[in-house]
Amino acid sequence: MEELFANLALGFQTAVTLQNLIYCFIGVFVGTLVGVLPGIGPLAAIAMLLPATFNLPPVGALIMLAGIYYGTQYGGSTTAILVNLPGESASVVTCMDGHAMAKNGRAGPALAIAAVGSFFAGTVGTILIALFGPPLAEVALKFGAPEYFSLMTMGLIASAVLASGSMLKAIAMIFLGLIFGIVGTDVNSGMSRFTFGASGLADGLSFVVVAMGLFGFGEILSNLEKGEEASSRDLLNAKLTHLYPTWEDIKLSTGSIIRGTAIGAFFGTLPGAGPTISAFSAYALEKKVAKNPEMFGKGAIQGVAGPESANNAAAQCAFIPTLTLGIPGSGTMALMLGALTIQGIAPGPQVMTQRPELFWGLIASMWIGNAMLVILNLPLVGLWVKLLRVPYRLLFPAILTFMAIGVYSVNNLDLDIYLTVFFGLMGYVFVKLKCEPAPLILAFVLGPLMEENLRRALLISRGDPLVFFNRPISATFLILTILLLVVMILPAVRKKREVAYQEPPSA
Amino acid sequence: MTITIKSTLAVAAVTLASALPIAAGAQAASNQTYPTKPVRLVVAFPAGGSTDIIARLVGQRLGERLGQPVVVDNRGGAGGTIGTEIAAKAAPDGHTLTMGTTSTHVIAPAAYAKVNYDPVKDFEPLTLVASTPYLLVLNPGVKANNLKEFIALAKSQPGKLNFASAGTGSTTQLAMEMLKLAAGIDIVHVPYNGNGPAGTAVLGGQVQALFGSMPAVLPHAQAGRLRPIGVGTAKRSPALPNVPTVAESGFPGFEVSLWLGFFAPKGTPKPILARLQKELTDIANNPEMKAAFEKNGASSVTNTPAEMNALMKAELEKYSKVVKAVGIELK
Repeated sequence: MEELFANLALGFQTAVTLQNLIYCFIGVFVGTLVGVLPGIGPLAAIAMLLPATFNLPPVGALIMLAGIYYGTQYGGSTTAILVNLPGESASVVTCMDGHAMAKNGRAGPALAIAAVGSFFAGTVGTILIALFGPPLAEVALKFGAPEYFSLMTMGLIASAVLASGSMLKAIAMIFLGLIFGIVGTDVNSGMSRFTFGASGLADGLSFVVVAMGLFGFGEILSNLEKGEEASSRDLLNAKLTHLYPTWEDIKLSTGSIIRGTAIGAFFGTLPGAGPTISAFSAYALEKKVAKNPEMFGKGAIQGVAGPESANNAAAQCAFIPTLTLGIPGSGTMALMLGALTIQGIAPGPQVMTQRPELFWGLIASMWIGNAMLVILNLPLVGLWVKLLRVPYRLLFPAILTFMAIGVYSVNNLDLDIYLTVFFGLMGYVFVKLKCEPAPLILAFVLGPLMEENLRRALLISRGDPLVFFNRPISATFLILTILLLVVMILPAVRKKREVAYQEPPSA
Repeated sequence: MTITIKSTLAVAAVTLASALPIAAGAQAASNQTYPTKPVRLVVAFPAGGSTDIIARLVGQRLGERLGQPVVVDNRGGAGGTIGTEIAAKAAPDGHTLTMGTTSTHVIAPAAYAKVNYDPVKDFEPLTLVASTPYLLVLNPGVKANNLKEFIALAKSQPGKLNFASAGTGSTTQLAMEMLKLAAGIDIVHVPYNGNGPAGTAVLGGQVQALFGSMPAVLPHAQAGRLRPIGVGTAKRSPALPNVPTVAESGFPGFEVSLWLGFFAPKGTPKPILARLQKELTDIANNPEMKAAFEKNGASSVTNTPAEMNALMKAELEKYSKVVKAVGIELK
């Protein structure tokens, strides 16, 4: 414990100088501004802003990066809530209830609770890294192919819970997502699948393309159909009752934030799909424990608080494998790793002992970045909400333009823009058919990982399927999956399930 | 008909004759003013990766020396073939360059069924700037302390051990396949999605061995979490002086490394090529740049265009053999 305080003190000593605080502020500010542009998620935003940090001193660069990281992440949640555009897979969950809240005129509370939940989760995450970083990284190493496969299976089954419409449609969406996930080069054989000879598809469909198309484009198309008057009414005429959460909101969210943080901290250390799995699991859990499950999908504040906290805790804990093992858990982390390398820090087991001031300085700057984010964004909530008052004839073309730029900026491929249009049309059809795209997106993200790990596990076990049951962690996940299925199928709970999945006829 | 063709030819000849001096003049003019606009440096891998980092380090210096910014254009995907194709087809005026590597200019052409560029015919090689060695590492739980013991272990239980790679057809796979062929051992290939996950698999003991790129595995080897048993280069690595090379452990001539060099599209005017070669060679030999490379696990290397062409031809032959023997064909 003493050592921890000494370490943290060293970190804050390194990080807290006027100059560094200014770097942090610039990072958070620019990160939020860029992240809030629709279509430009954290990955694209960091890729764009990264070169700006190359010429700063190492600690300054790190603290600015931390600012940019949290800023873009929060900016991503902002677009998810305000205009239904998820910047990365974890924000898909935020879209569901966050945007519903915005439609009910409660964009302010949604944004504020997202900021507060993220700050709490970020603080806990920082303490966890300081306390248990290295041992937690050891746990991540215990995860081999069978464990990942079983975890993904559980996640996929749990995702059925996300649907607020019919179960059959949710399952259909999951299968569609799995199919889209297959596109690209097969890791095992190196063969291309469903690329139709287009080299731009060799690495598969990009998440940004699918999410922007299904959510953003689809939403805009279906709004256009209603005409400006009718479609603007949703957001404009809804009374902006409160800009900030009410006491009731806070009471409802406190438990969600704590539960979300715990889930995020648990899954976050696993390289791969940490934040996504956490956000979806947190949502599923909130829906299960909530007293008002019928509100989920229609603007339940717990549906924002839980997943947002989980997402941020996971994003924070994703630094654990990145820093201690040098294993980036996501594309964004890979970029951060690259930035560290440019600063002459080779992340890995030795960074803590060789450059303690940098390691602890980074951890301190993470917390400062989180704090700065809340300080900057709570007053800005009002400003973001005003964005909704921009008439659709101006807002829609702007969103489409930024979306096209954002999609293009990920891989610099024009094919991606055409594909976004394709998924946009598909999204429109889904709106018409009342099919929810969220399960599709989750299956799209998890499916390829699941397949890869299934085949890898069987390759290592030389084809013996018992490998999934012989290993305790893997077996635990599979047992949980079976329990989940039983709960869904058992007639005794069917009634409850109907409340959880079926919209009441009046809606 | 014949008349028309003849007259067309005549016109063409006249045009050509009159155009030639103009072209030569334009070349001289462009030579004086090159570069007239920012230079695009195509990097066929995503931002933040090791190729990108080296490209940015060198690109920034090159920009300072040319008096025009060098803009890195990341065109990742399909094993680096997308970006490299873009560079091959760019206007050969010195305003588009690319960072070519063993992956883009040797392995991809050898392993892919179809690549839309020819690594030798479509490019003007400028110079190598850096090279990264490969290091054979084992999970410390494996009962083998050196390459000889590892080979003996593999021979005693054929088809039982596994090795990780950064993907099917990656240098990390081909390096091990080369060793397998040379030593006559049977180890099962388990492909991962990149160097990071492959390293993690060996760290966690899911897979026993990896012929990994130095920057990815060196920190773990130094920390004692991975056991280094062989260096893929001709000479021992200064970072690990006690680890013998694979060549000196009974496989003379064995060499696998990842080189990174600059290329211009074929047809770029000679004076511009000469200017770029000089600047790039100076940059790569700069002590500060050497130190920056070393921090990234690479060492600075320079050579001439003729040496680069010879290197590519030799490597294409070497890797094509392995690709054929193992039966890899990427589509």
